[in-house]
Parts: sequence; C-alpha cells; structure tokens
Amino acid sequence: MPQIALENIVKDYPVGSATIAAVRNATTSVERGQFVSIVGHSGSGKTTLLSLIGGMVRPTAGRVLFNGQDVYAWDSDRLSEYRCEKVGFMFQSASLLPVLTARENLLLPAAFHSKPAAGHERRAEDLLRAVGLGDKLHAYPSQLSGGQQRRVAIARAFMNEPELILADEPTGDLDEETESEMMQFFLRMNAERGTTFLMVTHNSDLAGRARQRFRMDRGELTVLQ
Amino acid sequence: MHTLVTFAFKNVRRKPARTAILIFAIALLVSALVFSISFVQRVNGSIKRTSERLGADLIVVPNNARGAAEEVLLENQTKSFYMDRSILDRVRAIDGVAVVTEQIYLVTLSTMCCSVPEAMVVAFNPETDFIIKPWLAEKLKRPLAKGEAVAGAESSFNIRLGLVDVNSKLFGNEFKLVGSLDKTGTGLDNAVFITLDNMDQIIKSGAAGKLKPSDISIIFVRVKPGVDPSRIAAKVEDTIIEADAVSRRDIGRNVITALKDISRIFTMTIILAAVMSFFLVWAIFTAIANERAKEVGIMRAIGAKESHIMRLYLIEVLTVGVIGSLLGILAGSALSAVFSSTFSIVQQLSTSLTLTERVVIALVSFLGGTLICVLGALGPVRRLKGLEPLLVIKTE
Repeated sequence: MPQIALENIVKDYPVGSATIAAVRNATTSVERGQFVSIVGHSGSGKTTLLSLIGGMVRPTAGRVLFNGQDVYAWDSDRLSEYRCEKVGFMFQSASLLPVLTARENLLLPAAFHSKPAAGHERRAEDLLRAVGLGDKLHAYPSQLSGGQQRRVAIARAFMNEPELILADEPTGDLDEETESEMMQFFLRMNAERGTTFLMVTHNSDLAGRARQRFRMDRGELTVLQ
Repeated sequence: MHTLVTFAFKNVRRKPARTAILIFAIALLVSALVFSISFVQRVNGSIKRTSERLGADLIVVPNNARGAAEEVLLENQTKSFYMDRSILDRVRAIDGVAVVTEQIYLVTLSTMCCSVPEAMVVAFNPETDFIIKPWLAEKLKRPLAKGEAVAGAESSFNIRLGLVDVNSKLFGNEFKLVGSLDKTGTGLDNAVFITLDNMDQIIKSGAAGKLKPSDISIIFVRVKPGVDPSRIAAKVEDTIIEADAVSRRDIGRNVITALKDISRIFTMTIILAAVMSFFLVWAIFTAIANERAKEVGIMRAIGAKESHIMRLYLIEVLTVGVIGSLLGILAGSALSAVFSSTFSIVQQLSTSLTLTERVVIALVSFLGGTLICVLGALGPVRRLKGLEPLLVIKTE
C-alpha cells in the first residue's frame, strides 16, 4: 500500500464569478521513504498540491489517501492530529510565531500532540543544534536573520518525528552553503528514519537529487520518473 | 499545556497599553460590584438581623415615635420617647397577644447626669422580658441585679473603662458594670442595660429630667401562634390612638424603601459598566482576532485543534480577567471602607459585614468580572478557532 495516494484530485478556487482550477484530476502515489521533488512554474499549483496532501485544504473532488485512509473523511480534530503527528510542513516563508523564542516555536507542535514524547524539550534543543542554531535557542524571530528563521522552521517540521515532510521551497532564503547543509540534513533524515519527503523546489540541482520527480503545469500533475 | 500558558502570558504582555486598558475596565466594573453589593448587603443584613434578634412580632411606641424607635433599634442613635404605662395593659388585653414587655429609654449626658459619654440606657422589666434576658443568659449566665448594669457590645465606653467591675455613675446613681453582651447586630449594641427596679431611684434623683414613674418608651409584643402580627398591629393602631405599632416585617421599611432607590442607581451603574466592559473586551479581542489570524493559521497548520486555539485565548482572557478582578476587589474594598462613611445610612448601622459575607461578595464580584471578560472575548475567539490552516498558505 502506498503511503500517499491521490485519486482524481481536483481543486478549484472561485475568483469573482470565475473559477480557477489549481489542480486538475491529479492521480499518483508515493511509497513510504521516498524523496520526491515537485517542480513547476509559479502559480502552477505546487503549493496547493502540498496543502491538499497535508490536510490543509479540502479538494473540490477526489480523494487523498494516507496509509490507505481517506484524509478528508476525518473530522476536524482527527485532521489536526494528522497534521500534527504524521506531517511536518515547511512553508514558503518561515512562518514563526513572533512572541515565542526559537526553542518555544519548536515546542509548540509538541504541545498540540495528543501524546507528546518524553524529552521533547531536549529534542527541540537537539534539532536547533542540528540546523546550526545551538546558540540561538532563546532568540526571538525578530532577532534572527531570514536564513536563521528558515532553519528554525525546518527544525520545527521535524519536531513530532513525522512520517511525511511537505516542504514548499524550504531553502529559498538560504545561502548556497547552508542550502547544501540543509539538503544533507534532509537526505540524512530520509535515509536514517525513512521519512518521506515531498519538496517543491525551483532548484534543478536539488530536484535532481530526488528519487522521484513530479512536474506541475497549469494544475496538471505529471510524473517525470 | 505549559507551552500554551507561556504563549498566552506572552500574548498578554504583547501590547501593554491595550492590556492595561482592559485590566482597568474590568477592575472598575469589579470595584463597583464590590462597593455596591457590600453597601446593600450591609444595610439589608443589619435590618434582617435586628428584626430576628429582637425576637418580638411587633413593637408599640408612642404616636409619631416610630421613626425614632427605628433609629434606636437599627441605627445606633440615642433617642428617648415616652408613653403612659397603661398602654401596656391595653395591648396585653388585645385578643391574639401572647406576651408583652416594656422598656424605658434614657439618654445619658456626661456633663449633667452621668460619668459616661452619650449613650442609650435601656431599663427592662426582668419579670416579663424576652428581649434582653436571652442575651444575658448567653453571656452573664445570671439575672441582672439592682444596682448592676451590663453594656452592649459596642458601647463606646466599654473599651475605655475596661468594663468589668467598674463603677459608673448613671443618672445620679452608682452602677456596677458587671459585663458586656455579645454583639447582637441591633442598635441596642450601643446601649447600657439596667433593670426597671432602678428607675424609682433614678426618677427621685431628678437626673432623668421630666421622666415620670408611669412612663415607658416601647412595648415588645409576641403574638399567639397562627396570629398575623400585622393584624394585631392594625388593631393596636385602631384601638390605642396614642400609640403606633410596627410589625416585625415592617421594621426598617423606611430604610429599605430608601435603600431600594440607592440599589436601583447602583444596579444601573453596574449594568452600564458591565455593558461597556463587555463591548470593550469584544472590540479589543476582535482587533486581536484580525491581527493574529495568520498566527492562528500557522498553529492550525502545525496541528493545533480548535480546542487548542480556544484554550490559548481563554487563558489570555482569563489572565486579564483575573488580574482586573483582583485589582477591582482591592479597589472596591478600599472604596467601601473610605466612602461608606459618607453615607449616613451606613455610618449609623449597627453591624458591619462578616468575614464570610466579605469573602462571598469578593467571590461573586470576581466571578462577575471574569465572566464579563470571557463573554466579551468569546465571539472573536470562536471566530478565530474556526480559521482554516490554508490562510497561512494564502497570505504568503
């Protein structure tokens, strides 16, 4: 059974009296532990596709299956548990909470977990060290550079040890060296823990490192390899 | 939970001026609640306790002396008024009356008759009394003898004299103060009690002014079981033209009527303050909901349930409500202490609030303030909790 299966997914957005089709009849599947890159032009529907898989936006038609279960058949609380415990999401921007320190931003997903793992405070600190921010545990987002904020957001996505990481251009704000470090970090998590990655990127080098590649073009999903 | 509490506390400190305005509004409302409830409770409680402690179904006083009698019994005032003793027998003869007892009220004047400051001296009849004897039984545990006096709990000179076994001069006669009574919650707490058999000597001394041997001040009446005291009171007034009768439930009616008007003003002020506080909290939390919509979107996207969002903002609003309410209780108590002295009705009341009453008033006011805060924030917070995680994606 694939970990993720999309069955004829359609997502339309109403814009005034018209309707924009963000995703058209997408059907594919991803096995557990895969590293998938998604490429495509701006506005091609990549972010919407990730949001649909991440349980954040209900499809107009079709089904999203996670381990064989229809994600959108669940109620609001179960869907929240899915986002909290199974999925780690990296947004296009860091999307940190400004009144919380880097460490507290990482602790927040654990606070939403129905059974937070023992030692989650230690884990938050270890993750921040792993992304090179061991000296910024108590810094507020406003005291961090854009790249550092981005790394906090990357660490946050791993906080609840998710089975699936959905990353929307996660290294966009990073310099080349840090981007490479983060990519190594992702590949290590993928190899060591078997975490599945679906990553939107414009970087063809990064996309080339993925074992499976999707292209989005005007809402249509094509599997490249 | 710890992270959510930290988050909520940090949100409270986010905009200090805005938080301060909210806390101030709640504190204002709660202080008004504490002050007005304390005021009304004190007056109501005093009247209720007095009528209960007196143990009489009705009182009979000289014509037009009803107000003065209420002032003595309820408000610690010193007044004297007299009627002829024959009225006692006429009241006793009314069908439905069970027992009657009389008292004589004298006012001491330290420069003329007495070695004590101005106070009420109450002479009671030990043969028929059912008002003072139960109080004496509680404290003195023996009847009061001729030449002995016992002081009410709040007699102004009790403390000054150290009270027990002190000889005082009352209306030209030496009296031995043999003790003090427990607080009864009536105006008589401020009196000194002697028995009627001292009155001959007092009248003979001439220190009691125009008081005649046949004078009495007040008659306390108990009616037979099943008899309506109001009916007896009406009968007294019909048959004894020189006397007024007041049934137990009508004692303090004038004060209660005045109090109702004051209560109405307080109630309207509190309703206005509550409505204003409600809308202030609502407006501020509506602004907060708009400001933090994206943050809620982020939280929902990383796994927050609607209940987490609700809890987070309830902790925030409860923090504001609790701080505001506690400050309000302090301010309201201080207001009660300072400004109640400007209300003569309260100044002269015989009782103050008990500790339990104070705690209950503080609790009720605390709950009132916190509830208004929560209710005001509920609408905006409910809207916030329902925000979809997609919002964070869309705003990027």
